[in-house]
Amino acid sequence: MVRSVGWESRERPGSGGGIMTALPIVPDYRAQSPAVRDRFQRILERPVILSVRNLTKSYVAEDGTRTVFSGLSLDIRRREFITVIGPSGCGKSTFIRIIAGLDEATSGEVLLDGKAVAGPGPDRGMVFQGYTLFPWLTVRQNVMFGLEMRGKARVTAESEAREWLDMVGLGKFEQSYPHELSGGMKQRVAIARALANEPRILIMDEPFGALDSLTRCKMQGYLLQIWKQVDVTILFITHDLDEAVLLSDRILVMGTNPGRVVEFIENPVPRPRTSAQMIAPEFIAMKHRLDELIHPPAEIGEEEKLPMIRLTQAGEDIE
Amino acid sequence: MAANDWLGLKHELPPRRRFVLLVLSFAAPLILWCLVSYVPWLWHPLVRISDPGEVEYFTEDMDIPREDFARELENARQTGAALPVGERVNPVYLPAPHAVVRSFYTAFITPPRLPGEPWLHESLGHSIRTISWAFFLSSLIGVPLGILCGAFRFFSRIHEPFIEFFRYLPAPAFGALRVAILGIDDGPKVAIIFIGTFFQQVLVIANTVRKADPALIEAAQTLGASRWMLVRRVIIPATITDIYTDMRILLGWAWTYLIVAEVVGTMSGITYFISQQARYRNFDNVYAAIAMIGIIGFTSDIALAWLGRVIFPWKRTNKRPNRFVAWCARWVGKVGSGPAPEAAS
Repeated sequence: MVRSVGWESRERPGSGGGIMTALPIVPDYRAQSPAVRDRFQRILERPVILSVRNLTKSYVAEDGTRTVFSGLSLDIRRREFITVIGPSGCGKSTFIRIIAGLDEATSGEVLLDGKAVAGPGPDRGMVFQGYTLFPWLTVRQNVMFGLEMRGKARVTAESEAREWLDMVGLGKFEQSYPHELSGGMKQRVAIARALANEPRILIMDEPFGALDSLTRCKMQGYLLQIWKQVDVTILFITHDLDEAVLLSDRILVMGTNPGRVVEFIENPVPRPRTSAQMIAPEFIAMKHRLDELIHPPAEIGEEEKLPMIRLTQAGEDIE
Repeated sequence: MAANDWLGLKHELPPRRRFVLLVLSFAAPLILWCLVSYVPWLWHPLVRISDPGEVEYFTEDMDIPREDFARELENARQTGAALPVGERVNPVYLPAPHAVVRSFYTAFITPPRLPGEPWLHESLGHSIRTISWAFFLSSLIGVPLGILCGAFRFFSRIHEPFIEFFRYLPAPAFGALRVAILGIDDGPKVAIIFIGTFFQQVLVIANTVRKADPALIEAAQTLGASRWMLVRRVIIPATITDIYTDMRILLGWAWTYLIVAEVVGTMSGITYFISQQARYRNFDNVYAAIAMIGIIGFTSDIALAWLGRVIFPWKRTNKRPNRFVAWCARWVGKVGSGPAPEAAS
């Protein structure tokens, strides 16, 4: 693991300074070890896969036009792992639904390999939060679905589907129906199904949101392994700070009212990642920064004062 | 919730209790019927005369209200005439269970009274033929149209308003018109069941198809499915089990329309048999025939439900289907196109 010795230290702007003084050993989240900096340099040399230009989404409600988000622009390079994080209502789901082609933007454009996208297509695979495996198909037939839609012969589709299932470790379950699988297994099949189409970008909308935390932890490990083996760029939505820091190269933090990019951060945690890094100083620094951006200090005080009447006896205090 | 709670809300009962309740649901009305039929002091409002005595208007085997019999008996006693004798019976329209059970057999072997009248099995066959044709023709157009209306707003907007209007017109109201157009044979009868079923069928199936899980449709879109592929490979399979259930319910409605249809024009089928038997006052045969309709409907529904579990293996809740079901599934898979729906492992 890279030590904090020799890190470039920069002065951080004033906001949130009070909290930072309580954690003196936490380095600046923008400080990158040489290895990490090199890696970001190399990423910059890769071609841009997905380019979002001035994307705006608004809709007409009863009391006038509401803006979901406006002026969103970013570039995602080949084989990057990008996480989008933000409070609920910031439009992060709408944002990736537009990229997937399931929603239409009001203005702006989404370019995939330089070509504007219109409507959903197999070049942008998607894994949803809910379970979306087709219940009437076996696990293998689910993975074959996209291949058959693209006109591959049945035999080819079958053997390819088997390979993808082996890759996510579910080769034994190819004849099972989805209702016979656990939640984590279903999502692994969903990942295999999306990847079987060899998409340019894999869009994941809180894919582990419905899983318990132990399964979620395993799934994060699986996802990192899969990403290492496959030529795919990942755009991942989550509201879990640990998940965002553990998985991503860059983190897009969105704010609300209206939705906008608050900061697009290069994650200083070195690769390869393991959950052991969750107590590393750069991990804590990164997570701390995300926490500040998503829960501004002003809000925290308000939450704690609920107008509660005391309903317990004196002397039964729990703290 | 306590395990021995019979009335748990949305709480499935253990198999043993389910069986007890199944038996009870049939046994309870049967027991009531037996009590009314065999316990002489329960109801039995009439007296069947076995010996008319000297009462003028009494004849043997005549049923007479109890009060009238008591009055005549009193009169006979006072005038010293021979006393009439009789026993309490239920009205002829409520035969005892054993008589109806016997009719199940005798109705089939009793030749019709008039030459040219159909036997019972011919009547039943005629009814089943009529309903099969009507339901088949209705489904042939109704199911695809319902799926189109459910899948595409275009078809929904162009067809459903008129269908919605038309389904309020009672099917029997067209009786005379249809006889004029289609003649007096089976044509108008099939047409009544068709009209009674078809319009409901389109609306019900369209509604079911509209409920297809949008998340599955979106998932298929991101996998590159084209519009027709979405209908064929996602929307139809996603709703086929519900469509199947709708069809079972619609078949029940078709039986209701059958009775209406059979009185139009020349009376035919099981309805003709029933009304003839009622005319001859063979009410045990009437009940047997009505019960036969119930048995045919009920068993065909159970058979269809069972068949549904065979052809839709992903809907099975238990992981290990029995061997016979697995064998049938393999057989269906071999005969039908597509992959064999192998038994779930």
